Amino acid sequence: MITWAGWREKCTPLRRAWIPVALAALIAFPLVSGDIYYQNMLIVTFMLAIGASGWNIMGGYAGYLSLGNSLFVGLGAYTTGILAAKDHVSPFLGCFVGGLVAATAAALLSLVTRRTRGMYFVIVTFAALQLVGVAATTLSGLTGGSQGLALPLPTWSLSYQDWPFYYPMLGLLVVTVAVAAWVRRSKLGMGLFAIRDDEDKAAGLGLRTAVYKMIAFVLGGTFVGIAGGIYAYYVTFLNTAAVFDIITSVLIVLAVLLGGRGTVWGPVLGAFIVAPISNLTSTSLGGSDAGAIRLLLFGGLLGAVAIFLPRGVLPVLSRLLPTRPPVPVQPAHVPVPAARPVEPSDVLVVRGLRKSFGGLRAVDGVDLTVPRHEITGLIGPNGSGKTTLFNLIDGTIPSRDGSITLAGRSLDHASRPARAHAGLARTYQLPRLFGSLTVVENLVVPERHHLWSTRVTPVERARALGVLDNLGLAAYADSSPADLSYGQRKLVELAQVLWLDPVLVMLDEPAAGISPALSARLADLVRSLHQRGVGILLVEHDLAFIADLCQRVCVLANGNVIAHGSVAEVSADVAVVDAYLGDSVLPAVRS
Amino acid sequence: MIELGQALVFGILIGGVYALMATGLTLTFGVMKIVNMAQGAFLIVSTYLCYALWQHFGLDPILAAFVVMLPMAALGLVVYKLVIERLERIDPGLTIVATFALALITEAFLALIWGPNQKTTTPVYFNQAIHIGQLVVPRAQLYACLLAIVITVALRQTIKRTWLGHAITAASENPEGARLVGIEPARVGAWIFAIATGSTAFGGAALSFLYQFTPDTQDAWLGLTLSVVILGGLGSVAGAFAAGVLLGVAESLTTAYVSVRWATAVPTLLILVVLTIRPQGLFTRLTRQDAAS
Repeated sequence: MITWAGWREKCTPLRRAWIPVALAALIAFPLVSGDIYYQNMLIVTFMLAIGASGWNIMGGYAGYLSLGNSLFVGLGAYTTGILAAKDHVSPFLGCFVGGLVAATAAALLSLVTRRTRGMYFVIVTFAALQLVGVAATTLSGLTGGSQGLALPLPTWSLSYQDWPFYYPMLGLLVVTVAVAAWVRRSKLGMGLFAIRDDEDKAAGLGLRTAVYKMIAFVLGGTFVGIAGGIYAYYVTFLNTAAVFDIITSVLIVLAVLLGGRGTVWGPVLGAFIVAPISNLTSTSLGGSDAGAIRLLLFGGLLGAVAIFLPRGVLPVLSRLLPTRPPVPVQPAHVPVPAARPVEPSDVLVVRGLRKSFGGLRAVDGVDLTVPRHEITGLIGPNGSGKTTLFNLIDGTIPSRDGSITLAGRSLDHASRPARAHAGLARTYQLPRLFGSLTVVENLVVPERHHLWSTRVTPVERARALGVLDNLGLAAYADSSPADLSYGQRKLVELAQVLWLDPVLVMLDEPAAGISPALSARLADLVRSLHQRGVGILLVEHDLAFIADLCQRVCVLANGNVIAHGSVAEVSADVAVVDAYLGDSVLPAVRS
Repeated sequence: MIELGQALVFGILIGGVYALMATGLTLTFGVMKIVNMAQGAFLIVSTYLCYALWQHFGLDPILAAFVVMLPMAALGLVVYKLVIERLERIDPGLTIVATFALALITEAFLALIWGPNQKTTTPVYFNQAIHIGQLVVPRAQLYACLLAIVITVALRQTIKRTWLGHAITAASENPEGARLVGIEPARVGAWIFAIATGSTAFGGAALSFLYQFTPDTQDAWLGLTLSVVILGGLGSVAGAFAAGVLLGVAESLTTAYVSVRWATAVPTLLILVVLTIRPQGLFTRLTRQDAAS
């Protein structure tokens, strides 16, 4: 009798074997069977699978949904078509130019996402598709407009059937899936998943999110652009309404959602389900209502998948399959980094920083200095502008007035990732970790150079385990942050900061909501960072914690620094008492 | 000079109509931050319903809108309860996908019922005009624009003055806080979605006598209404009105001086430009919420 565990054991080699088997079957199919109907159906399926795999890099990994990917199919098809019809360039060469045009369009569109997020991206892609559709119809001298564009007919012998379309399309599919798989396993993919979880936090760790998103979107557009070129030759006649039809986008999104967003094989699986249905309806349905029925079918399927199967088929199935245990690596006892060379004694200098929201002056001309030799506390009543000040310093909110200097370098025009690279690191009131990544990956994610190498190299893993071990978290290295307690998540966020080896650490209420034991451990950690020469700026409401740790305190009220000095000095300050307790109690305090 | 003046008159009148068409989206997208990709479809459903009432009972489309409003609001309520409430919890991206699917399904039903051919309503005023000096003011556009002003003001007052309006604003800005003071965001959400969908009846009525319509124009109307809301700044009723006028004038000038074919590209082009340069919209100031999100 086969036990459940036994079955799961047997599955692993099976799962590895089915890929070459399926590929071999697809290669052999046209040679064995002369059935042109199925050959054509597979060509369309490959095309959809290429589109879906490409879409998945941006839509699945990075979480940026697009409804405009028909645009890339259309651009690829028309570039190839125009080159073939007017300049007699072979479509098999022209399709690469088509891919290039699609890649350029994707790069331009991703520029729009520099300042906008999630839901706007859908609108941007939708608008771009409409715009290019109108342009293609209007520029009829180039595209043939609504009259259509005819490509030269293929000249090869009929005995080759559609092989010259079939094999290039299959080859392109293999390449696309390989690239998608590679991206998923690389640092690029890890960064894209981090962007999906929390883009702001990712940028705060120094991830150049704009570059990541551009690469992801361009990769997705390029392959389907090339496929569009081959497809143009295959259909030999292009018509703007059909080529830029949003239904192509819908089929792509449907295939990915059905198969499993964010997985490598889900989009391919989805395409192999959706394309045959699409093919069947377009050949078997006739009459004036055919278009409406197809729309009803695919609209209905898309809605049903979004509502009832939002994770897709593959993730649901793969829960039944075994996962490989991670390779254990001993934590390396990395020597504590030597103190940095002597730099200006003031780590952070803020002068005249100002920010208004509507009529509210949240930060109103703040001057603040964080010297290297003193742990600096920042206190103030709720709404006094502490968090806004943090957001201005780390670049979450752009500032126009005032200057920020970190270890002698001006940060005024630096982007958020650039500030992280300059050595600025922060934690948040509520810890923000990447739920799709393991604890180790949460640390390693801001790698700056080798986007194409594997997610966590052995060297990085050893160093990360060293950092985690110091915080008593080594046992959780491969857990999901979701499985950790609140206090542990706060420690992981601190580990992220330590990993960056920063010049200045800004801690936003580090002791809030954690146990006294953990709070003491945290205080020790802050001291040891300080001894290594790292500047510390700390927001905290727990005055005992502040008094214990900070040599110097700044008090913020109504967006202004109203006092600074030792804790004893500022607690005696009348203005401070006034700010915390209000005018009415002031006489009582005085008397 | 007359040509420019005429283009401006057409632009301003049609701009009011654009704002009217976008009212539903101003509420759902602007206030609730839900991207309802079925806005164009809801609009065109209203148009067909007004068309049916006009055809069978001879009811004036503007009056028909007050009848159509009710089933549309009910439709909105059902969609919110069955689709949006559920998906917003899992992933707002899925709401976008699901409402887009809904748009396709709606388009299909309309095509099955009324066929793919162009339709229009022709109330007595549809091709009459008032002449002021050398300028022509079409009565249909004028009435539609007046309707737009009435509806816009009514909605604005609802948001600014009534308890429901305050509850809506509270629930969209801070759901947890709203719950603490006794506002259930899901219930308020259902109401606002119903009002938003119901209000498409008026935009749909105006559309029925100003344009020739077919079921597959829904995505063009979606593009247009998204453009109005994004240009106007999310949730700003006055901003949406200003954006509508700007769009109307831009289209009308494009038609007069470039080509009528490029005029259809104006809304989508403006979406791309505004989102690249000034994502908070043309007529709103940045708030702390925008900066932090």
